[in-house]
Amino acid sequence: MTTTTIERPEPGASAPLISVRNLTVSYNVARTGKTLTAIEGVDLDVREGEFVTVLGPSGCGKTTFMNVIAGLVKPTSGEVLVDGRPVTGPGPDRAVVFQDYALLPWRTVFDNVKFGLEMQSRLKGDGWRDRVQEAVELVGLKGFESSYPRELSGGMQQRVGLARAIVAEPRILLMDEPLGAVDALTREVMRDEIEKLIAATGKTVLFITHSIEEAILLGDRIVVFKSHPGAIKEVIETGLERPRSERSVQSEPRFLELRDHLWEALQHEATAAARVAGS
Amino acid sequence: MSAMSAIFASGPNIGRRGLASWLAGLSAGGRAAVLAVEVLLLLVVWQLVVGVWGLVNPVFFPAPLDIARGFGELVASGSLAANAAISLQAWLIGFALAVVVGIPVGLLMGGSLPVDKVVGPIAWTIYATPTIAYQPLSKAWFGFGIGPVIFLVTVSALFPILLNVAAGMRTTSPSLLRAGRVYGASRFELYRKVFLPSTVPFLFAGLRQAVVLATIGMVVAEMTGSSSGMGALIIKAANTYQTDQAFAAIFVVVIWSVSMTQVVSLVERWTAPWTRKARR
Ligand SMILES: Nc1ncnc2c1ncn2[C@@H]1O[C@H](COP(=O)(O)OP(=O)(O)OP(=O)(O)O)[C@@H](O)[C@H]1O
Ligand SMILES: [Mg+2]
Repeated sequence: MTTTTIERPEPGASAPLISVRNLTVSYNVARTGKTLTAIEGVDLDVREGEFVTVLGPSGCGKTTFMNVIAGLVKPTSGEVLVDGRPVTGPGPDRAVVFQDYALLPWRTVFDNVKFGLEMQSRLKGDGWRDRVQEAVELVGLKGFESSYPRELSGGMQQRVGLARAIVAEPRILLMDEPLGAVDALTREVMRDEIEKLIAATGKTVLFITHSIEEAILLGDRIVVFKSHPGAIKEVIETGLERPRSERSVQSEPRFLELRDHLWEALQHEATAAARVAGS
Repeated sequence: MSAMSAIFASGPNIGRRGLASWLAGLSAGGRAAVLAVEVLLLLVVWQLVVGVWGLVNPVFFPAPLDIARGFGELVASGSLAANAAISLQAWLIGFALAVVVGIPVGLLMGGSLPVDKVVGPIAWTIYATPTIAYQPLSKAWFGFGIGPVIFLVTVSALFPILLNVAAGMRTTSPSLLRAGRVYGASRFELYRKVFLPSTVPFLFAGLRQAVVLATIGMVVAEMTGSSSGMGALIIKAANTYQTDQAFAAIFVVVIWSVSMTQVVSLVERWTAPWTRKARR
């Protein structure tokens, strides 16, 4: 696909909200002077309101892929359109839950959560306080509003990052393993909360995870990445009814079928990646 | 010896590893008491070795009680107050100049690679040169009196501040900058709300070093080219074999230096509470 002719998508429900076309990203590694191709030739369309989960072995370029959509990394070639316009940088229509939390250490939990509103000059009136407080409570951190990040556990910090993204009310939520450091029980609660929130607000979500079950439980579609170079291996419609109750879904034949399929695909990728790394 | 066994007896279960954990578990008051007893013990032993048993010639190394007497003499004659006032003035002016110049230049250096390339090597060279090497130059430029002292205090304090601030700017976490950009921070806001706060702990580390180096710079300048100030007082006393007075003056300088580093730490705890270590 050439990038010289930008097709104008017709206004309507069928036009994708995010459109990734033939995306390649290479990093120049200054130390060795080599270039490293993180992802190559990635195509993906995401509809408005869709929940897309991303699975793939470590180092296959998932974070890179998300950073391009966020406007933090420039494509080496190809392009990303959001709402029909090429992404040239970050914008208030997209918020990111970072894999490494990226909380400001000098701000309390409350002040970290309000960061987006503050930067976007949305601290007018009184309503914002309630919204920030609501987000803090949603992620289960009531009582920790005036703690500093260093006083929290990894999982708690991760949930602050989640609250910060939610309160900014973006159209698109980009979540990079947002529950990776959270314990199994809290994870289940948070997963429910995220699902409810998304259902209520109709946000479009890109959700990176290492958990196959999580990818199936949350996703309308699952994107599976492969490595060396990073690229999309396959895209699967989950086709499961919503709302999904964790327990009942896990015994459905479709869930089991998906799980076995993904397990096999990822195991194949992981051993391939290990072979390349070892050679 | 009986005092020592008395403290140890008060702590439960003192073994090799027990002492450290017992000390760590003490309250702030308890720790101050332990420190006071330690200092007292040291002074008693010192007094015994020099003053009572006469193992060391007191001209080289006066006993604590002699130093105390020397201190009394300096206070009574008014020369301590006079010299301390002059030193204090030079120190404060010199330190303030270093802060006023060091912070903005450090920020510029850390924020801009070209500035860093130009200023960096010069700054490191001046920083690496022993203070005393600037003394002749300083006298040629500023003559006698307080001028060269202020100059050496400034030169000594400037570079730890400047270089630490620059390092703080440069090491600002890229991941925090990404968060800033994602949530819509403008270039100016990135500086004000991400770069600057990241630099604060480095600034205070630099200020603490600067306090110590400024004091050394001050004493060096006053010892070698001035007729007044604490450095001059130390030299004058030593040259007339009043070692007890010289030591008393040295103690005053050391106490100043240590208390100013404490002041810097207090200001840090007050302005940057997030750097406070969680108590274990
Ligand atoms: N800033 C960078 N400079 C150079 N190389 C990079 C940079 N960021 C990522 N890479 C490389 O790009 C590849 C993909 O990295 P990325 O972080 O996107 O992987 P990932 O799929 O998110 O991995 P994980 O699941 O472990 O988070 C890796 O080989 C990594 O070494
Ligand atoms: Mg990643």
